[in-house]
Amino acid sequence: MGIREFLEEHPWAVVGAVAAIALILPWLPLGEATGYVTRVATLTMVYMALALGLNIVPGFTGLLDLGYVGFYGIGAYTAGLLTIHYGLSYWVILPLAAMNGALWGILLGAPTLRLTGDYFAIVTFGFAELVGLVIRNELWLTRGPMGIPGIAAPSIFGHVLSKEWEFFYLMLAILVFVVILVRRVENSRLGRAWFAIREDEIAAEACGINIIRYKILAFAVSASIGALAGSFYARWFRFIHPDMFKFWESILVLCLVVLGGMGSVVGVMLGALVMIPMTEILRVGLGAFVDWAGGAGLTWISPDLVNARYLIFGLILVLMMRFRPEGLFPAVRVRGEMHPGSERERDEEDESLYEARTDHEKNSLG
Amino acid sequence: MDLQNLFDMSSLFLQQLVNGLTVGGVYALIAVGYTMVYGVIELINFAHGEIYMFGAFITFHLITVYKVPFFVAALVAVAACAVIGILLDIVAYRPLRNAPRLAALITAIGMSIFFQNLALIKWGAQIKSYPLEALPPFFSDVAVRIGDVQVTWLQVFILATTLLLMFALHTIIHRTKVGAAMRAIAQDKRAAALMGINVNRVISFTFALGSSLGAVAGILVGVFYNAIWPTMGYIAGIKAFAAAVLGGIGSVPGAMLGGVVLGVAEVFGAGYLSSQYRDGIAYAVMILVIVFKPSGLLGKAMIQKV
Repeated sequence: MGIREFLEEHPWAVVGAVAAIALILPWLPLGEATGYVTRVATLTMVYMALALGLNIVPGFTGLLDLGYVGFYGIGAYTAGLLTIHYGLSYWVILPLAAMNGALWGILLGAPTLRLTGDYFAIVTFGFAELVGLVIRNELWLTRGPMGIPGIAAPSIFGHVLSKEWEFFYLMLAILVFVVILVRRVENSRLGRAWFAIREDEIAAEACGINIIRYKILAFAVSASIGALAGSFYARWFRFIHPDMFKFWESILVLCLVVLGGMGSVVGVMLGALVMIPMTEILRVGLGAFVDWAGGAGLTWISPDLVNARYLIFGLILVLMMRFRPEGLFPAVRVRGEMHPGSERERDEEDESLYEARTDHEKNSLG
Repeated sequence: MDLQNLFDMSSLFLQQLVNGLTVGGVYALIAVGYTMVYGVIELINFAHGEIYMFGAFITFHLITVYKVPFFVAALVAVAACAVIGILLDIVAYRPLRNAPRLAALITAIGMSIFFQNLALIKWGAQIKSYPLEALPPFFSDVAVRIGDVQVTWLQVFILATTLLLMFALHTIIHRTKVGAAMRAIAQDKRAAALMGINVNRVISFTFALGSSLGAVAGILVGVFYNAIWPTMGYIAGIKAFAAAVLGGIGSVPGAMLGGVVLGVAEVFGAGYLSSQYRDGIAYAVMILVIVFKPSGLLGKAMIQKV
């Protein structure tokens, strides 16, 4: 049994192992680095939640969403504004932020989800850019480029969270909730309808699935998870700024999903687990390298090298699509689709069904 | 309202119109690159905006480092961008011709980010400008002045170049053999191949053509605003794509029209409505067109084949 099959068949074993590691992580004897490591771990979990949320749209339903950061931003600003203006408890804000995300998901999705893949991708992109513009320009609401400082930290039974490990466990709890939600949905009627749409929209419609309705649901669930992650981020970081919610973030989350394996719950989490710490290592490592190069008189090395770590994200997207489009830890079903007509798929396919396939199936993900 | 006031307003209007046409012409140049590539391989080439950026930067590099005269540098940059476009297709897109559309789209985004960061490493994040002494001196002279309306030679040059290139493009597409091949592939790739058309070669040609027009646009914008930076292709690319969508994706005259309409709409929107939302106008136009009239102004209604 390969690793892939093991992951596919025993997701809870993996989740359990990860959870066990996660539980003891803030207590590892790392000396001064403990706070930093815990912070990176928390950030990794934020991105795991984002990846799980985004995964629902390209992974489960087969539509490319390039504007996921829009919902993340909406969640963060919902939480930030409700906190500074009304001082609401985080436990009230959490569902409100998720609902606001879902609301915008529906508002955007309802008119646009009947579009074909490429157009839909572009519309989501435009939406996220508009969200960014509104956040930047509506000073009366969002303070624009000044950002929103001094957002209160969440409290539990009157105890205000202040230590890194406390946020770590809060995010862990949110992440566990998201994982359970996504796993439950994945194996439900709803999830099966999404997969049917992803695999063949026309066939799905012929089976009586209301395509638009299920696509909107996918979009709303995905958006609410993004907003949930955003609301945590706002109360954790306690400062939000328009620059935190730029196009890059959408691409980064997409990269996690693609790397881990579109449609695979365990995969996208592992994608985040690999990528986010790596991003941090690159940031710190490249920073140190540039400082060293500057000191050593290597003037041809530009200080902008630090920002260029995104180069690697671009390469990952390209190389993954070229050589391993199903991701590193793929869901079995997606693997078959990404290699249309391959031997393996042919073996898995029912013979009679195979006969009925038509040419357009190749494009079922578009 | 007295006459003077009216005159001021109309001269402002005229000035905006000229500026809008200049910007719009440039959008049109980029937009045809999107629309042609979409026409032949049905892919949104996200990296097209980066080719535009490369056009501006390669020119800059040649001028500042190798002291090449402006027009020579521009020509070399355009040729280089044509090659980059062909390589982009061969290395990144061609292996995915039969893969799901989602895979090709993600690859295009990946290439766009890769190019952007390559430029960031090479040239740095700071805004660069062309050294003024390297540019032809007549650029900044005023060509036409009507009342308060000024049109510089640079604007005339941009408009003339755009028109000339559009005319050349139209001729290539409608009067040459390779143009006929492009149109054939846009209609039906497989049938075109059966008719003896070397599909890959024509696709390469399409990329070369689109990329060189994009590069010209990058150089023109770089000179017009005298500012270039590694992420300049990102917004310009999206706006040009919006223009292509507005005109009807896949339609070359549509892309030209869309570019001009969008450029004018943007300048007027920024002037009369809200300058902060200048970039938002393109996105809003794009979303509205996609939602309400996906075939655009001049595009053919797309029939979804089952």
